[in-house]
Amino acid sequence: MDQISVLAAAGMQSRMQSLDLAANNLANSSTSGYKTDSEFYTLFASEAAGEDASGLPAVPMIQRQWTDFAQGLLEPTNNPLDFGISGKGFFVVQGPSGPLYTRNGNFRFSTSGAIVTSEGYPLLQENGQPLRANTAQPLEVSRAGEITQNGTSIGRIKLAEFPNPAGLNKFGANYFTNSNGPEPIDAAGAQIYQGKIEASNVSASHGAVRIVGLSRQFEMMQKAISLSNDMSKKAIEEVAKV
Amino acid sequence: MIRALFSAASGMNAQQTNVENIANNIANANTAGFKARRAQFQDLLYQNMIQPGAAATQQTVVPTGLQLGLGTRAVSNEVLFTQGDFSQTENPLDLVIQGNGFFQVLQPSGQTAYTKSGTFHLNNTGQIVDPNGNLLDPPITIPQNALSITIGSDGTVSYTLPGQAAAQQAGQIQLANFANPSGLNSMGQNLFQQTDASGAPIIGPPGGQDGMGTLLQGYLEQSNVSIVQEFVNLIVSQRAYEANSKVVKAADEMYQQVNNLKQ
Repeated sequence: MDQISVLAAAGMQSRMQSLDLAANNLANSSTSGYKTDSEFYTLFASEAAGEDASGLPAVPMIQRQWTDFAQGLLEPTNNPLDFGISGKGFFVVQGPSGPLYTRNGNFRFSTSGAIVTSEGYPLLQENGQPLRANTAQPLEVSRAGEITQNGTSIGRIKLAEFPNPAGLNKFGANYFTNSNGPEPIDAAGAQIYQGKIEASNVSASHGAVRIVGLSRQFEMMQKAISLSNDMSKKAIEEVAKV
Repeated sequence: MIRALFSAASGMNAQQTNVENIANNIANANTAGFKARRAQFQDLLYQNMIQPGAAATQQTVVPTGLQLGLGTRAVSNEVLFTQGDFSQTENPLDLVIQGNGFFQVLQPSGQTAYTKSGTFHLNNTGQIVDPNGNLLDPPITIPQNALSITIGSDGTVSYTLPGQAAAQQAGQIQLANFANPSGLNSMGQNLFQQTDASGAPIIGPPGGQDGMGTLLQGYLEQSNVSIVQEFVNLIVSQRAYEANSKVVKAADEMYQQVNNLKQ
């Protein structure tokens, strides 16, 4: 294949992946605690594109995505078991295979009185144990994460902070895992708001602009391939004519 | 490409669920004792295009991989058991629970159902029943010639008979509460049913040691639906639906252009 086609086709493919990311973001615009994904483009030196002296050695491709951990809006729900985090930090829950981290503060009581997520994973307190409460009594959470019932403290919610959150991977179901990054530290500056839940930080307008941009870039590259085809066709059919 | 189409479709589906939930809340804005529900969403699984932590070279690893998400799903619409407004009705058998707890009613099947709606009546034998005729549990009977019915904040039901100065006690209303009330099953008609998720009922007198709320006679609890909040949610949901449909269109056009590559 000629270089123009290879380059443009690689560009088209990466725009398709970009659209996949944009589609997932927009689909999750109502997901509590969801964080927007964006992509990093890189130039990939490819043999197909020709690293020889022709001077066009690289094709664009998406190397990795990065997650925008910007604060989402704290929406009031008046549900005493909805906790919203303001600032850096994640709730730590006991997943089936190790800790999971989430910004989705929608909790409920399990039948045994533990504070759990919708999957039933218990919320952990600072000493690493699940938080347990008397379900018949109202529960109050201070900004610092201290949970009190009837004036007695029953524990403090653990908030984990990642100095470099780029090491976090999305696990699905609003969870993050920390598979290959350094261990988290205790979040110092974060505050917990009871009765509020953090909305998704997806910006619909940004998403719409992104889609328009992607569509037009895609179209442009498709035109480039057509043009290149036409040139090849002419070269074969007309130049070679005797 | 197919990913983008399905992600957008999952987003549209989720928003449809959201609108259905909002519609039910608004439709029940005037239902006494109704508790609003709120839809909750989750992101779906991620497809790892480049595995994070994979070896980039012999010395280095890829710090973050390329993960493409596959959309969203509605995971639950939990009941919000916040207190609704009280309205005065002067009806002696209208009750409000101030705080936690549910009234227990016996269904014809013999199973107990739980309700926040405190509209009660007397049936033809003088027993206290809910608007569907289900008996209040434990049953309380008021004689037909009773002049006035008083229900105390602790649930004690008493009445006076003609020509008698002292009030007669008919019984005490017991409330039930659950470890996880959000896990109750809505049966319609303002009734809830116990499930494995809600746990077994904890039964106790109103205002007692078990954390039950107190009763207030002559008042009704309105629904806790906030119309303003619901309309705001409706607007947000409609716009999100629209945004997802635009993604479907963009993906479709890209597909079309790929097909046009081959002339």
